[in-house]
Amino acid sequence: MATIHINCGKGNLNCSNKNSNVQSVPFKILADASANVDKYFNKCIKTTENGHSKASFRGLPLLGKNVRLPEGYLGVVLHESLKPHDEKSERNFYVTNEFSNINFWNWDKDPSDNDSITQALQWLDVANALHSPIIEE
Amino acid sequence: MAVINSLGTLEKFISNSDNTENAFYISEIPDVCKEYPCIVGIDEAGRGPVLGPMVYGTSFCPINEQMIYNKLDCADSKELNEEKRDLIFTNICKQNKTVGWAVDIISPNIISNNMLSRKKVSLNQISMDSAVGLIRAVESAGVKIAHVFVDTVGPPEKYQSYLKGLFPQFEITVSKKADSLYPVVSAASICAKVTRDHALKVWKFAEDIEATYENYGSGYPSDPVTKKFMEGHCDPVFGYPQLVRFSWSTAENALEKLAYHIDGENKEPTKKAPPVNNTSITSFFKLANKDNTEKKVPHEFFAQRCLSRDVEF
Repeated sequence: MATIHINCGKGNLNCSNKNSNVQSVPFKILADASANVDKYFNKCIKTTENGHSKASFRGLPLLGKNVRLPEGYLGVVLHESLKPHDEKSERNFYVTNEFSNINFWNWDKDPSDNDSITQALQWLDVANALHSPIIEE
Repeated sequence: MAVINSLGTLEKFISNSDNTENAFYISEIPDVCKEYPCIVGIDEAGRGPVLGPMVYGTSFCPINEQMIYNKLDCADSKELNEEKRDLIFTNICKQNKTVGWAVDIISPNIISNNMLSRKKVSLNQISMDSAVGLIRAVESAGVKIAHVFVDTVGPPEKYQSYLKGLFPQFEITVSKKADSLYPVVSAASICAKVTRDHALKVWKFAEDIEATYENYGSGYPSDPVTKKFMEGHCDPVFGYPQLVRFSWSTAENALEKLAYHIDGENKEPTKKAPPVNNTSITSFFKLANKDNTEKKVPHEFFAQRCLSRDVEF
């Protein structure tokens, strides 16, 4: 398996964007490009009566909530300038953004504990229990 | 709430409302409408256009006073020009001792959200709900309703029996072209149409887009100005501002051409159930296959949580 380098800090891409605004929409946008999130999305987010968030994406109704990453974890956005053609070469990723919470959106469904993001984060607790050293008392 | 008694106050009301949500206005109820049996007309404006709100309007007055609509020159709003409609609307407002009116402004965003929801609420359903809402609002405002006249584009019989079921106490007439047959419906139509036109004129883009009525036009897909707007104002990621009804085929086709494609739950064909694993019981007694090359499958825990190993960053 190829080695993956994750680079952060001096000499790399600007990493000053702390806690950037991450929106997880229930669609795959088939593009890799920058988006006018502030102009078209952030401004139109509202709060519903039950405390969730409400927004639209291309007319589709979205319901969401803000999910905080567990204590001790940090989300990073990585950028790869050049993807090698073969699988054996080393790969370089650069940290461009950090975040500690995610706005998670469902298509026309109230956010709940069954949402994949909430479920996925459960693994962190389970992993901790499974992999922490056993201390004999 | 501020009173609408002119085009200026109408525009003010619209500008002060959040255009990504529906807005509702009902005039003050003339005393005579609470005392004497009334006729109520209902019609819509802006059903077809790809942008802007759809407006349902109503007008009502005592049966004995209904000649007032003829005096007000209420005829089919589509036959009148804009200037004439604005004038008649102003005159309807002035007759506030006899005539009352109301409008339900259905935001294009709400239309999109409903039609693109999981339930896929149809435009017909949205329309009927609005008409029913208007009748209820007029009734609960204290108007003594006797007869309701509703304009429809679809088959009148089904719609009529639906309304009759909801309001058995009123006489209901649902008809095509009711706006040219009944002056009371004409008046409703004028209130709706004037409201829609002015809503487009004072539209403030939540997205800070610098465009005015002259840039986006009537909203009819056939309008060359609207066509040009749809071609020139498409964001590759988000598509259009919330002025546009995304559920219209005109918008869908434009997005297909001008924006990034998206994959999502809403586009997926209904998934087939995975084949049932019918392992026969005898197979367990056969010699076990010692071949250890079988790929290790992660525990179900991970699959349920949509977690997978992905070296292909």
